[in-house]
Amino acid sequence: MQFPILTSLVALPVAGAILLLLVRGDEEQSAPFVRKIALIVSLLVFGETLLLWSRFNPGSGDFQFVERHAWIPAFGIEYAVGVDGISLLLIVLTGFLTPLALLSSWESVRKHTRAFSIFLLLLESAMIGVFVSLDLFLFYIFWDAMLVPMYFLIGIWGYERRIYAAIKFILYTMAASVLMLLAIIGLAYLYQTTNGVYSFDLLKLYDLPKTRHQELWLFAAFALAFAVKVPLFPFHTWLPDAHVEAPTAGSVILAGVMLKMGTYGLVRFAFPLFPEAAAFVAPALAGLAVIGIVYGALVAMVQPDMKKLVAYSSVSHLGFVVLGITAMNTQGVQGAVYQMLNHGVSTGGLFLIVGMLSDRRHTRQISEFGGLKKVTPRLVAAFLIVTLSSIGLPGLNGFVGEFLILLGAFRWDPRLAAFAATGVILSAAYMLWMFQRVNYGPVTNDKNARLPDLQPREWAIIVPIIAVAVLMGVFPNLFLRPIEPSVQRMLNQVQRGAPARIQAVNR
Amino acid sequence: MMSSFNAIVPMACVTAAGIAAMVAEAFRDPGERMPIGGLGAVGLLGAAIATWLLWDRNAVSFGVVSADKFGLFVTGILIVVGLLSLAISGPTIERERLPRGEYYALMLFAIAGMMLMATATDLLVIFLALEVLSLAVYVLTGIRRDSQKGTEAALKYFLLGALSSAFFLYGIAFTYGLTGTTRLDRIGSLLAAQAMAPTPMQLLAVGLVLVGFAFKVSAVPFHMWTPDAYEGAPPAVTAFMSTGVKAAAFAAFVRVFLSAFEPLKGSWSEPIVAGWSQVVWVVAAATMIVGTVVGVAQTNVKRMLAYSSIAHGGYLLVALVAANDVGKASVLFYLLTYAVTNIGAFGVITLLDNLDQPNDEVRDYAGLWNHHPALAALMTVFLLSLGGFPPMAGFIAKWYVFSAAVKAGDNVLAIIGVLTSVVSVFFYLRIVVMMYMTPSDTPARFPAVPRMAGAALIASAILVFYLGILPTRVIDWAAASIATIF
Repeated sequence: MQFPILTSLVALPVAGAILLLLVRGDEEQSAPFVRKIALIVSLLVFGETLLLWSRFNPGSGDFQFVERHAWIPAFGIEYAVGVDGISLLLIVLTGFLTPLALLSSWESVRKHTRAFSIFLLLLESAMIGVFVSLDLFLFYIFWDAMLVPMYFLIGIWGYERRIYAAIKFILYTMAASVLMLLAIIGLAYLYQTTNGVYSFDLLKLYDLPKTRHQELWLFAAFALAFAVKVPLFPFHTWLPDAHVEAPTAGSVILAGVMLKMGTYGLVRFAFPLFPEAAAFVAPALAGLAVIGIVYGALVAMVQPDMKKLVAYSSVSHLGFVVLGITAMNTQGVQGAVYQMLNHGVSTGGLFLIVGMLSDRRHTRQISEFGGLKKVTPRLVAAFLIVTLSSIGLPGLNGFVGEFLILLGAFRWDPRLAAFAATGVILSAAYMLWMFQRVNYGPVTNDKNARLPDLQPREWAIIVPIIAVAVLMGVFPNLFLRPIEPSVQRMLNQVQRGAPARIQAVNR
Repeated sequence: MMSSFNAIVPMACVTAAGIAAMVAEAFRDPGERMPIGGLGAVGLLGAAIATWLLWDRNAVSFGVVSADKFGLFVTGILIVVGLLSLAISGPTIERERLPRGEYYALMLFAIAGMMLMATATDLLVIFLALEVLSLAVYVLTGIRRDSQKGTEAALKYFLLGALSSAFFLYGIAFTYGLTGTTRLDRIGSLLAAQAMAPTPMQLLAVGLVLVGFAFKVSAVPFHMWTPDAYEGAPPAVTAFMSTGVKAAAFAAFVRVFLSAFEPLKGSWSEPIVAGWSQVVWVVAAATMIVGTVVGVAQTNVKRMLAYSSIAHGGYLLVALVAANDVGKASVLFYLLTYAVTNIGAFGVITLLDNLDQPNDEVRDYAGLWNHHPALAALMTVFLLSLGGFPPMAGFIAKWYVFSAAVKAGDNVLAIIGVLTSVVSVFFYLRIVVMMYMTPSDTPARFPAVPRMAGAALIASAILVFYLGILPTRVIDWAAASIATIF
């Protein structure tokens, strides 16, 4: 029997959390020990995700490392997991960001360190679970279970309005998800009426014939759940609150991985399961995406709070991802998947840097800073690189994704691409303006005069981020190669369902 | 000849334990400590063994008590409810100086009544069982004789309960008038033969019985007694009655309505045939909505959980309306899950209850995490399960019930169900917010946790996770249970 690598990936963080439960001693004694164990576990998980990547056959678009076990046979529910090129790198991203999130909270989390580490590890398990599930029931379990640790992370270790933000986050996303649960159940019964047995198996449900009417309702339920998660304009209102109030580690995971659940869901579930409905609704979704790109950018521009600015920039960047998906051609979807990774790295990096500044000054107001370049030159250099990567400077990661998405969008509808392209310019405007106000000019606030520069721990956080940003910008093919066959396969899937649309696009 | 007694062996064990408890109390010297609770546990374990042996036998006693799998499954739930309730009762009895023997005897008699109700196949026997369990529970509710709230709650519960029994009995009388029998199977076949569309007389009979059941499962608009009774009773009794009574009443409800009154179900399809399912549809929707919306406004944890319990009754009604194989099996699974979870939640309340300070306001939970991390964690598990989060049992239970509704094509009810369940998460999380995210302004003032009660709570939590992660076996049992009788 093959080694169950995916199951062990899901189980390893949980095992780490259980191990931490057994640690004795009060906060003072146990905290350093707890932090180390959590970091080691998360590094092991990251190592295992790299191992997964190295074993992955990039030439195939099929699901690999598939494990299947009967779970609730009466309803055809299986424990079925597998990865393809779309989910592979998202799993690696999860493994990459979790240790950084733990490192970022090394000193800023001072109470209940053990519980903090446990929740973060449980969250990692659930996130990996979402990416590997091939059974819709299993997927939903991870999807919903993910909310609980995040709720605690925001609610216990967040900033002033953390309780409000935590409850808004969980209720908002749950309200949208429960309808998807009904749609999942509906799909299984639909399968039963044609095949006699229930099934929640994604691969079987792909090929299940559905009427147009059924597709539209089911697609609506799925798309709503994902749109809230992305978040697509106008469902984004939970995001600024959650991001701003969450501790740095929470923001990094939220922006870096959890937002991708929404776009991943569109690519993996909503579009291939309901191709006809997707083709019908795609223009509207693309419209919302473009509005989100411009709106997010404009709102970001006027934010006085750095964290809120980065949060709104996420609305804008994720709009690009949705636009790429709705274009439904190779470049668009490939760019979208690539952009998901980029956004995880660069926005994760931005939140980490804002977290470092906020650790030093206990404020995130742009106006409180100024002239940092003279005080903390190394930190500012890192800040600059991450900022440029977020803007999409050629040579860094952001450029490749945005370029592919705009190319895909242009092939579909040049008008959409034109509007979306303004988002690229706007993002340069708000990011650089923020950067300028924080780092250039004279030191206006005496409190900033003696800030320490990067600590060794912070080097360990920022160097990997920059290294990956450069790697992804210079060698995009390294990452695009495993993505492509799976994207192709997914497009074929959609094409079978809605041939007219695809042909019209690929003229 | 002996074999005709087989089906009543489980309740006989429990009754014997109850009698033994009373006798023990009578012969007890004042001040002497006797393990009377242990007697109850022995009786319940005996019942468990009997249930296990009876499984698959389809034993019938006297033609009116049928130990079919459906009844035995509910009997099993009641045994779990009984054992957990006994285990968490200790601290309450100790603290409030309640009459130990009477308390346990009443609880055991109530369980015997519940078991009879779950296995009875005759309307009159169901009524009998209902009275046996109700009388015991009325007394338990008011067992704190010096507590004003307790007495008020018991009186309210008794008056409304008696009224509902009258409705129920009246409904039985009409049913007898229509069919000349009180046996469920004969009622079913006679009603099926009588007419295609239900007559007003038939609807009256069904309606009256429905009102009786609606009171017992605290369905809107007959839920008014629930918050008062749940708040006034000692929390251990609340844990017991919110789960045991509900399980027994729902078992009989499903049995009566899906076998005897099945022909009067009515249907939504064109042309609409009037029947009880439309009424129950509205009742289910109202119960879910009222339970959650009013629950949001509560500041007392017990009242909040009372409304939560009303809402959970609504979800069970959804399964009853669906009336398909999935629905019937899901009722069983849901009752088990709900019993384990709710007893756990009320168990935590019991343990926090001080004589001078009930600690049952939401704000009393502030900072519980710092004083009692284990209790806070257990409470969180139970609350999240009640809210329907995976990987806890509550998620599977809700999924099961809503599956039944979707399968029956009743999407509107399913949507009401999931949305109210999101609203309910709001008030469950309020307690979590208090426990974890709000610092307490007063120093620790929670009593220590007795070992027995702590073990019961941990057992509940383990069951919650077991049913949430590996529900396969229990789902199979539930499916097998409904295959034999409907």
